[in-house]
Amino acid sequence: MSIMAYNGAAIVAMKGKECVAIASDRRFGIQAQTVGMDFQKIFEMGPHLYIGLPGLATDVQTVAQRLKFRLNLYELKENRQIRPKTLMSVVANLLYERRFGPYFVEPVIAGLDNKTAEPYIAALDLIGCPMATDDFVVSGTCTEQLYGMCESLWQPDMDADALFECISQSLMNAVDRDAVSGWGAVVTLIEKDKVTTRTLKARMD
Amino acid sequence: MSERYSFSLTTFSPSGKLVQIEYALAAVGAGSPSVGIKACNGVVLATEKKHKSVLFDENSIHKVDMVTKNIGMTYSGIGPDYRVLLRSARKLAQQYYLMYEEQIPTAQLVQRVANVMQEYTQQGGVRPFGVSLLMAGWDEDGGHPFLYQCDPSGAYFAWKATALGKNFVNGKTFLEKRYSDDLELEDAVHTAILTLKESFEGQMTEHNIEIGICNQDGFRRLSPAEVKDYLASIV
Amino acid sequence: MALADVCKLNLGNKSYAFPNPADIDGGFSSLRTELNTSEQFAVPYNFDPVQSFAPFADGAGNDVKIQFNHGTTTLAFKFKDGVIVAVDSRATAGSWIASQTVKKVIEINPYLLGTMAGGAADCSYWERVLAKQCRIYELRNKERISVAAASKLLANIVYNYKGMGLSMGTMICGWDKKGPGLYYVDSDGTRLTNDMFSVGSGSTYAYGVLDSGVRYNMTPKEAYDVAQRAIYHATHRDAYSGGVVNLYHMKETGWVKVSQIDVLDLHYRYAQEKK
Repeated sequence: MSIMAYNGAAIVAMKGKECVAIASDRRFGIQAQTVGMDFQKIFEMGPHLYIGLPGLATDVQTVAQRLKFRLNLYELKENRQIRPKTLMSVVANLLYERRFGPYFVEPVIAGLDNKTAEPYIAALDLIGCPMATDDFVVSGTCTEQLYGMCESLWQPDMDADALFECISQSLMNAVDRDAVSGWGAVVTLIEKDKVTTRTLKARMD
Repeated sequence: MSERYSFSLTTFSPSGKLVQIEYALAAVGAGSPSVGIKACNGVVLATEKKHKSVLFDENSIHKVDMVTKNIGMTYSGIGPDYRVLLRSARKLAQQYYLMYEEQIPTAQLVQRVANVMQEYTQQGGVRPFGVSLLMAGWDEDGGHPFLYQCDPSGAYFAWKATALGKNFVNGKTFLEKRYSDDLELEDAVHTAILTLKESFEGQMTEHNIEIGICNQDGFRRLSPAEVKDYLASIV
Repeated sequence: MALADVCKLNLGNKSYAFPNPADIDGGFSSLRTELNTSEQFAVPYNFDPVQSFAPFADGAGNDVKIQFNHGTTTLAFKFKDGVIVAVDSRATAGSWIASQTVKKVIEINPYLLGTMAGGAADCSYWERVLAKQCRIYELRNKERISVAAASKLLANIVYNYKGMGLSMGTMICGWDKKGPGLYYVDSDGTRLTNDMFSVGSGSTYAYGVLDSGVRYNMTPKEAYDVAQRAIYHATHRDAYSGGVVNLYHMKETGWVKVSQIDVLDLHYRYAQEKK
């Protein structure tokens, strides 16, 4: 059994027209045993910037905290908010620093550029290889299912409402085919002047 | 009296001074002059580059250097000390780029170089740098020009225009009279040359001054031919 | 033309427990037993199943492990009005959910039910064989087979394959002359009888609910509810159980399927009740 699937998780981020969205499941389990159904896997890194951390739960929290640590120092030193692309570099560096004893997380980043409001999404592997795309990125224990859903539901230039529907359906139907993720879902929709976070009613088995 | 407190640079004199740093500033004050002016669309750095002998190959050594593609610097003071700082500055800029995949903002570079200079006022077994730096930059996202001065103590200042080195007081007085907020880069280059000229002994040529400009296209050291053109339009 | 001719099968007259290696030539001849098979399987020449399957069965030091559909929750218990049988409906292969609509209660005949945990193919195949044997028993003896005998039949069959990698944990429930019957049979050859069993990865969660909820003198309605709750709670906590709750009641007149309900509906119904 892979250590990446020890706790179970599913995270997806998508681009829309002048908006991005990131969504995750809420399960915290120990292999087959579901222990928690309100586990936080998406973390705020700025007013329009979020990072999703699927993987080993202990590393999820450690990476989130160490990232926040670096981010706070960055903001104090530079007296400005970090840009999504720059955050991606910080994460890539943080992860590669543990090249030979990695954190078992594969992060997903979603945000709007501070100045241009340009949508940005990216995913990294556990040692920090970044991959920024123009449509969607997925990570977690049911990436095959997520790719299947996203490939069929995603379309270019969706407005915020369509994007919310698309990402919600993609996540919910993907986790319904994965034994170790699900048990509730949370979606964060990022628009230029508004960020909305909703929890979804989901299957609880 | 003050000699008693000059063995270790980390020892304060009773009046609260670190005299070694004051000596370092004296070295700067004795160094060849340099000038920096911030215009509305760029920054100019200019410095005197006099040689002790006519036998020098005057184009082999530079006093105005590029740190990143959009930041450059010059100095007044001890040349070899400057080279050490230039090396650190370049390395710091590249470390920043490695971490963030983004060009270092001028303010960040100045701050980090100033940190290096401060460390040399507190560490054992070292002496402060005998230079003050002038750093000119143009930031990628801000689209603004920047001009900073960095002293041996680690103190740094943002200027609209300033002068360092020998006769810097006269230079600054001259700049105060000539500076205006809507100055264009071209005019700023002229003003910088004129400021140097204030205290220049002998004939000023394209070989005994050096000029660097920084604008939205990045930082660039002017070629002797370009400097010659500027000089021609002044005389 | 007979079906065998249509299929161009050379059936011959005799069936062999282990076919002559000379006949296993990759052609149709090795399929001669196809239409009258039961417990005879083609095996490679010079092949000892127990020894050869051992590394796959225990999975030790081997990447491949022949174990499917291991995650499951099934339960059955006796009470004054018969036997209640309830199961989930999820099939998994690793963490992949292969199906949410598996029928894990096997209707052997109107008076016998079998539950499915472990290998889906093993369970469904051998309980089909069991159904055949039970029917033959009925024809020969002009009376229904007892639950004890039926379960023993199954236990004996799987015992013959011990160590060859069969994987099943089943409950045989029925009603015979002695009244309600409930037996647990697994692929190790274990055969037990008791008033309550739960089998599968979610069984511990189900036992928790059953132990605190089951009483012999319950009404059928109460029994249905506790069985349903037990499966629901198991699907809630166990990643490898889920889907719908299939609920059966074994009565003197034979089994009836009481209900089939999605655990999604149960979850929000129970959540509402808590408020």
